[in-house]
Amino acid sequence: MRGAAVLFLTLYLLRAMLSEANSALSGAHIWLFSGGLFVAYAALMLPFRQGIAVSALGGLLCDSLAPVAFGTHAALFSVAHVVVFNVRERLQRDETAVRVAVALILNLALYLALSFARNRLVPSGATVWPRLLWDLGWSEAAVALVAPWFFALQARSLELARANPARGA
Amino acid sequence: MRIGQRQRFDQARPFVVLGLALAAWLVAPAAVKSLSRASFFEMTAPVAAAASYARDLQGFWALRLHSKDELIEAGRDMARLDASYSIAVQQNGELKAQVERLQDLLRMPPSEHYRFEHARVVQRDFSAWWQRMVIRKGSDHGIPVGAPVVFGGGVVGRVAEVHAYTSVVELISDPGLRIAAVIDGDTRPMSYQGAENPAFGEARGVIEFVPLDVYSGSNAPKRLATSGLGGVYPAGLTIGRIVHVEPSQDGLFKTGEVELDPRLAELKEVTVLVPSNPG
Repeated sequence: MRGAAVLFLTLYLLRAMLSEANSALSGAHIWLFSGGLFVAYAALMLPFRQGIAVSALGGLLCDSLAPVAFGTHAALFSVAHVVVFNVRERLQRDETAVRVAVALILNLALYLALSFARNRLVPSGATVWPRLLWDLGWSEAAVALVAPWFFALQARSLELARANPARGA
Repeated sequence: MRIGQRQRFDQARPFVVLGLALAAWLVAPAAVKSLSRASFFEMTAPVAAAASYARDLQGFWALRLHSKDELIEAGRDMARLDASYSIAVQQNGELKAQVERLQDLLRMPPSEHYRFEHARVVQRDFSAWWQRMVIRKGSDHGIPVGAPVVFGGGVVGRVAEVHAYTSVVELISDPGLRIAAVIDGDTRPMSYQGAENPAFGEARGVIEFVPLDVYSGSNAPKRLATSGLGGVYPAGLTIGRIVHVEPSQDGLFKTGEVELDPRLAELKEVTVLVPSNPG
């Protein structure tokens, strides 16, 4: 489980950086979501048990600050993890471009799923969609920009901790 | 045949594990979930607080770069402000004493007293669904859940969650927050609620149950203030400016749009009003 612990630390760092970025962008009323990055690497590279533990714990990190039912992010991240895990053998998962594409698709799917789940929080649900689409656009751009660095960080962290999944395979 | 069945089971196993985990989570006691949420929040709090302290340090060193002439000038301005505030404090004390005498005379219940707890803003989280900020004071400083939070421009919001040394404040721009409000110079209460917060735009709120004889527009906006009803916010605190009103669908009242203070999105310090006699 050393690999899972190391990846959880990278997600902790990502969560802290995301919070700082959202805080800095609050003046412009832009909010970034990076759920795809919480799931992609663990689902593509780690054994099932370790990977799903990382995705679920990453979801709980996101849940701790959000005023939604505790476990919402964790459940969605776990579902996304299982789906990607089941198709990963058909993907060129060692390619960074493929990992980034998976992160972007996951981010889009998770954002839309969360939007439908959270829309009951907003009294005028329909009027909020333009803002949601703005945020989605910026989030996808941010994920595309950050993903190569973040995946390299995760791979290097696993190597440093001698918990590289390729070593064990 | 057996190999085929086993392959199918291997493929379905992740979904089975996921289903079992989700079912276990659904039936987990609320106390476990509540404790987990608090634990995860406290786990992330040190990084947020450290970043906030680092920003303060950055500000401190930036101020150290100012020339002595600038500091002398700022000190002189502060002294002038201090003098005018000292007079205002004296007048305020006299008015308070007068109010207390009148309350005593009319046998009215005493008004709520508050202790001012100033707190630095650690983080802002302004999504389309919620508008919240984390402040650097919590249960260690006696902050209670539900306490009103204010700044120089009026109401900021109310304390939604309290942790050891941080608290989460729900802003008045949050679509889930409602306040009983009145128009400046009018005593008839109406309902204020946070509304959509467009990207690159200003935060807005909506008012409902506005009496039909109230007129307000962007040319001559009226100030919307707290009514004091509900017991959370003291009366007279600014919420925003009413920039538009129109008859509601039922024709009995009007609804309107409220422009909030743009400084709400850039606050660095707020004041929590802690009731002196809670309960």
